[in-house]
Amino acid sequence: MNLEQLKQLKEKAQKQIALRESGKKYRVVVSMGTSGIAAGAREVMKTMLDELEKRGIESVEVAVTGEIGMVDAEPVVRVEEAGGEKTTYAKVNPEIARQIVVEHLEKGKKVESVAVGKAKEQE
Amino acid sequence: MSTARTHVLLCTGTGCSSAGSLVTRDKLREELKKAGLGDEIRVVETGCMGRCDLGPCALVYPDDTFYQFVKPADVKALVEEHFVKGRPFEKLLPRDPVTKSVIATKEDFAFFRLQANVIRRNCGVINPENIEEYIARDGYAALGKVLTQWKPEQVIAEIKASGLRGRGGAGFPTGVKWELMAKVPSAIKYVVCNADEGDPGAFMNRSVIEGDPHSIVEGMIIGGYAMGANQGYIYIRAEYPLAIKRLQIAIDQAYKYGLLGANLFETGFRFDLELRIGAGAFVCGEETALMRSIEGRRGQPMPRPPFPAQRGLWGYPTNINNVETWSAVPIIIRNGAPWYATIGTERTKGTKVFALTGKIKNTGLAEVTFGTPLRDIIYEIGGGILGGKQFKAVQTGGPSGGVIPASHLDTPVEYESLQKLGSIMGSGGMVVMDEDSCMVDVARFFLEFCCDESCGKCPPCRVGTRQMLGLLEKICRGEASLDDLKLLEDLCHTVKDASLCGLGQTAPNPVLTTLRYFRHEYEQHIREHRCAAGVCSALAISPCENTCPLHMNIPAFLQLLKEDRIEDAFEQVVMDNPLPSSTGRVCQHPCEIRCRRAQADAPVNMRETHRYIGDIAYESPIARRVLKRILKRKKKPTGKNVAVIGAGPAGLSAAFYLALLGHNVTVYEKAADAGGMLRYALPEYRLPKHIVDKEIGLIKAVGVKFQFNAQLGKNIKLDKLAKENDAVFIAVGTWEEQALGVPGDDAKGLFSSLSFLNAASVGKKTRLGEKVLVIGGGNSAIDAARTAMRQGAVVTIVYRRSREDMPAIQEEVEQALEEGAKLMTMLAPVRLVTDEKGKLTGLEVAKTVPGKYDSRGRRVPVVTKETFVIPCDAIIKAIGEKADSVLTKGLGLETTSWGTIKVDPWTLQTSNPKVYAGGDYVTGAANVSTAMGYGKKAAKQIDLALTGLDRFEELWPKFEFDNTVPPASQGGARNPARVIPPEERVGNTEVSPTFTEWQAKSECYRCLRCDIKVEAK
Repeated sequence: MNLEQLKQLKEKAQKQIALRESGKKYRVVVSMGTSGIAAGAREVMKTMLDELEKRGIESVEVAVTGEIGMVDAEPVVRVEEAGGEKTTYAKVNPEIARQIVVEHLEKGKKVESVAVGKAKEQE
Repeated sequence: MSTARTHVLLCTGTGCSSAGSLVTRDKLREELKKAGLGDEIRVVETGCMGRCDLGPCALVYPDDTFYQFVKPADVKALVEEHFVKGRPFEKLLPRDPVTKSVIATKEDFAFFRLQANVIRRNCGVINPENIEEYIARDGYAALGKVLTQWKPEQVIAEIKASGLRGRGGAGFPTGVKWELMAKVPSAIKYVVCNADEGDPGAFMNRSVIEGDPHSIVEGMIIGGYAMGANQGYIYIRAEYPLAIKRLQIAIDQAYKYGLLGANLFETGFRFDLELRIGAGAFVCGEETALMRSIEGRRGQPMPRPPFPAQRGLWGYPTNINNVETWSAVPIIIRNGAPWYATIGTERTKGTKVFALTGKIKNTGLAEVTFGTPLRDIIYEIGGGILGGKQFKAVQTGGPSGGVIPASHLDTPVEYESLQKLGSIMGSGGMVVMDEDSCMVDVARFFLEFCCDESCGKCPPCRVGTRQMLGLLEKICRGEASLDDLKLLEDLCHTVKDASLCGLGQTAPNPVLTTLRYFRHEYEQHIREHRCAAGVCSALAISPCENTCPLHMNIPAFLQLLKEDRIEDAFEQVVMDNPLPSSTGRVCQHPCEIRCRRAQADAPVNMRETHRYIGDIAYESPIARRVLKRILKRKKKPTGKNVAVIGAGPAGLSAAFYLALLGHNVTVYEKAADAGGMLRYALPEYRLPKHIVDKEIGLIKAVGVKFQFNAQLGKNIKLDKLAKENDAVFIAVGTWEEQALGVPGDDAKGLFSSLSFLNAASVGKKTRLGEKVLVIGGGNSAIDAARTAMRQGAVVTIVYRRSREDMPAIQEEVEQALEEGAKLMTMLAPVRLVTDEKGKLTGLEVAKTVPGKYDSRGRRVPVVTKETFVIPCDAIIKAIGEKADSVLTKGLGLETTSWGTIKVDPWTLQTSNPKVYAGGDYVTGAANVSTAMGYGKKAAKQIDLALTGLDRFEELWPKFEFDNTVPPASQGGARNPARVIPPEERVGNTEVSPTFTEWQAKSECYRCLRCDIKVEAK
């Protein structure tokens, strides 16, 4: 084992335990109540985890929550930023999930077409 | 490699494994698989998180949720709630001890949040059996840097600059120690890790080994490089099987990954590491004995010099350091010596892990930076004393250390500060003791340990410790003399000076420190044959008897009543307590705190039972018949005169015994009648005057004379009394009210509770108005509140601390609230508001918040700026009584710093040997039974001084009764004191009627007869 090898091993191993460290840039909360699960939230979450791993993105914490109440908009995914801003995505499917990972979590750009919650865009 | 979204770290250290965490682990994996979450949720086994008392422990990341008591039966629900539904499983969350609300994350959990995180940085966070997790957290990077970029001298300079001191106990500067060995020229050198951890109760080394074994491995390789050693040994006791297993796994993995063995980091440096397992002898924690053990010889210490750095293992230079010291090396190298030097104090850098055990709420491991006060460790991290008891002392440093009392709780923890107090840091054990710990027994316990562990090589230790132990056991049996105490002290110094190794040199420390801070306890065992803590069972009849200030032989009167011998029971009661019906109504019953029946269901109601005996005796011819028997044993007149000043409980008891012993006793009382607080403060509905009259009648009947309206300092003078009598006993009590000390305390409408209650006791109503506030939280405040309500007022009690901290008897507080009193807590008086005529209209109060813990375990109320006014017509202040300062000044006797009379603790003599004192006037405001205890003791001491004989026992018969040990379940549930419903509590109606015969008898059946002692064959 030389220094370079140790460094590489560390980087690889860090990904394994990354979620035990604090200081994440993003927190993704997948709504996983009964209606959420029925609408397919599990597949959405699995897809997001898969895409995050594929792209080696470590700065994201993925959590689940219970019923959030937007029953007809499920599956719902909320992205919280370390600075405090929250973006809610509704009617997310696996394809949109991948899009969220690529656009929002990796590039930092919200996927406006799927985001909800801006008052002037309602109705 | 699959990406899980959640890691569950389950502690499988020794503590949690014994709580069943291995079964929990298996169940957890099973349930997760069943729920289809096997890939998403990873279960990781880790080392000790530091709270073995809450095990099995689990930590969920990234949520940072800490779960306690994760039993296999709860796993299914836990998986359902947290991992499927995403909600924390509240049943397993810890709760705040005060607010009872759940603690949602580890960050919120004060126990963890208040700790430093240097030595235990990886414990509970990584899987110790996976080297890659250690590497992920920068493991072996320090080693890589050192081997490829630094010279050995640079390493030593860095360790020196950091200020790291050996954590094994002595605190020797590690850098200097390394330098000494590095300088010795030798082809073969060794480095050793002392993982013996022999102190009873210490487990911080074990938790570092079980949680982060690689930190020790890395530290030792770095040390080997710095000092020129290529071989390391970790000496670990066989009693740590899990630690041994994890260390071996760590070593094997290090070899596999090329981090141990030949050509490390391609620099040509070779280092090998092996385990050596010890059989668990305490002496093998001493470095020279440890080396002998590694060599395969008997663990016996050798004289130093030569030091191990010069001649160690097999004659070669050897460096031995503790687990914590080695573990700190990699992080110092990684973060730099300047960083480490910013943590801690001037002389002691860094952090230390303490094992907090004993009578403390949160037992476990506490890592703190040096300089943290002991108080913070014990109260903030440790949560304070179990069961709301009083802190007494903390033992630091194990059997080599000493005890530190409450007066030094603000000492910042570091090597020198503890040494100055007579103790040592040691390896970090901290055993917390409360009022139920006997300091003599503590010294005996540690000395017994050292005696067993002595290797036997040198006589001072081998013979000396055994002799010391013999003396301590003699003291605990009540058979020792003061000469034995002197001999013990001399032996301590001899053993300390002449022993060969640290075991013998430090074995006397517990004895020396307990003597330094608690000499009174040793002397009490010897002179009075009493163990106040109630531990040394040879010195007491039973725990209740020992705790009773009058030492009533409670099991005896309970047994006599059980056998229907109420006359004998009354005599048995009166021989120790001449006022059983009065005390039976108002005593704070400390006996119940130690009653062993409480461990089955609830304590025996001893107070109500001796009240019953007294009440029946006085309502029937029994009292008179017993009086005749008592008078038959009255001693012949001694011709001596004794003056007792004060006809309160203390004076009455002293007079009772002195008269029976044949002395000519006159009691001088400033009021018009006898009783003191019994008559002039305690309200009629709690203690009817006719009861007080009957009991004082007994005192008069044994020959005590009374002179009323005689006030000390006014119409009677102490000098004259001292001249005319052979002894004087002053027991005038504390009748001066504390001042409120806020603006406006000269307002019309402010009353002191004593004068208010005094007036009520002679039937005078005070014009209070409608709304009355009572300031205070003791019995006096409650009495004043309830009396004011009976006079028609609407009462609110205002107290500056919380309800739990109120010193009043809890049943009294409840009754007051039932009767309609309101209680407002956490409010301190700020100002009395008056109108233009100076009449009271309200009380301005400020909200208080709990501050730091004081030495009595209560939080000091800190006054905030949030104030408001409570309107009222009158205020009764009941914030405490003190001794009459004018009288005290005029007496010319030595006083204490709080204005009471100073007395010799054994004889109760004041600075004038003819004058004795006792009761509240000596202790400060206390209670009836404590005062009576002083009266009884004074009588004994005065009789001893006047006759030279101890004649107390001769006054009373020894009753014979059945001594079969009762089965524990006898007697049923506890009979609480009877209380009439609130609607019936009007005027002076007695609130609590006497027990019925059935109730009294059933309490007798509940007694477990702890006084029966059987010789074990």
